[in-house]
Amino acid sequence: MNETLKLGLILLLITVISAGVLAVSNNITAERIAEADKIANEQAQKEIVAEADEFRTLDENKLKEIQNANSNILEISEAYSNGTLVGYTIKSVSSGYGGDVVMITGFSLAGKITGMKVLNHSETPGLGANSTKSYFSDSFKNKSVTNELYASKNPSGESEVQALTSATITTNAVLAGVNAAREVFVSKLVN
Amino acid sequence: MKLSKVFYNGLIKDNPIFVQLIGMCSVLAVTTSAVNSVAMGLSVIVVLVGSNLVISLLRNVIPDKIRIPAFVVVIATFVTIIEMFMKAYAPSIYQSLGLFIPLIVVNCIILARAEAFASKNGVVASVVDGLGMGLGYTMALLILGSLREIIGAGSIFGKSLFGPGFQPALIFIMPPGAFILLGILIGIFNNIRRKKASSEI
Repeated sequence: MNETLKLGLILLLITVISAGVLAVSNNITAERIAEADKIANEQAQKEIVAEADEFRTLDENKLKEIQNANSNILEISEAYSNGTLVGYTIKSVSSGYGGDVVMITGFSLAGKITGMKVLNHSETPGLGANSTKSYFSDSFKNKSVTNELYASKNPSGESEVQALTSATITTNAVLAGVNAAREVFVSKLVN
Repeated sequence: MKLSKVFYNGLIKDNPIFVQLIGMCSVLAVTTSAVNSVAMGLSVIVVLVGSNLVISLLRNVIPDKIRIPAFVVVIATFVTIIEMFMKAYAPSIYQSLGLFIPLIVVNCIILARAEAFASKNGVVASVVDGLGMGLGYTMALLILGSLREIIGAGSIFGKSLFGPGFQPALIFIMPPGAFILLGILIGIFNNIRRKKASSEI
């Protein structure tokens, strides 16, 4: 037999076996992975809209329309409490210092931000990574949606949130994501 | 070769980090905290033992000419399995290790052990070699990760050590601190090793 062919066949055999092993382990884990993702998502939603007990994803056509106008928006969910609409959660993305920053922001129908949480980021540990800490994310709570938010070292006004020390780019990235979500909420969701 | 000697070689004498200086990219990147270091170390142990086992079993089947692609396929399979199970059962750790799990595939420790040891030795010796090298790697990561977390964040395994008044030296959490500490640790480790070796003679 041609040696090249023989070598190729042996390599083919090895890859076929490993593909089989991978298929089996994918089968075992796929469901758990989807479930873990869903649980993490739901937990984040509950955290930022505390009064809601149920979340439904927004109508797909409407989401597409919003995304066409604003590419920062990833997902939108309606938050219900005992069957009545109480607010929205909006997942948005923006570019930070080390890559994409993904955050989810909660809004109440009364026009307040009910909470904000950074879900995914690759910011510098000790600096930009502090964006996941509560002293930063809690400063978004109860801000009005009518004005654009700004960061400040000593937040005082209605539209000022806590700035992260030595992490201006991360602060601005989170602000950009939250402001994008805020605009969509004001112009498209509540009217 | 005695098994205990194989194990000792991996852990101390030919420690992959402090002595061979291989697989440094992931070492510098993931050791920002003690938890990350342990998780990365354990993943590498599993991959290393698994790939050493399979490659040693297949060492007479795989022709010499295609051994490298064959090794890479075996290693990549193990890494992908680990990645899937981590995603399913430990999503928070998976998130913090992120990119570095797939990168275990190209971690030179794994391929180096496959090429230098598992393809030439029996199954038991190869597994012991994988364990020794893996533990040596984990030990180095844990020392480096703990020191960086203590100095750079004032905590260990996420628990605050010095209270809120402590001003951590942020540089040690960032890449330059990793280089500085790693250099110091390699110096200390090799100094101890050399003293020990000369006292044996």
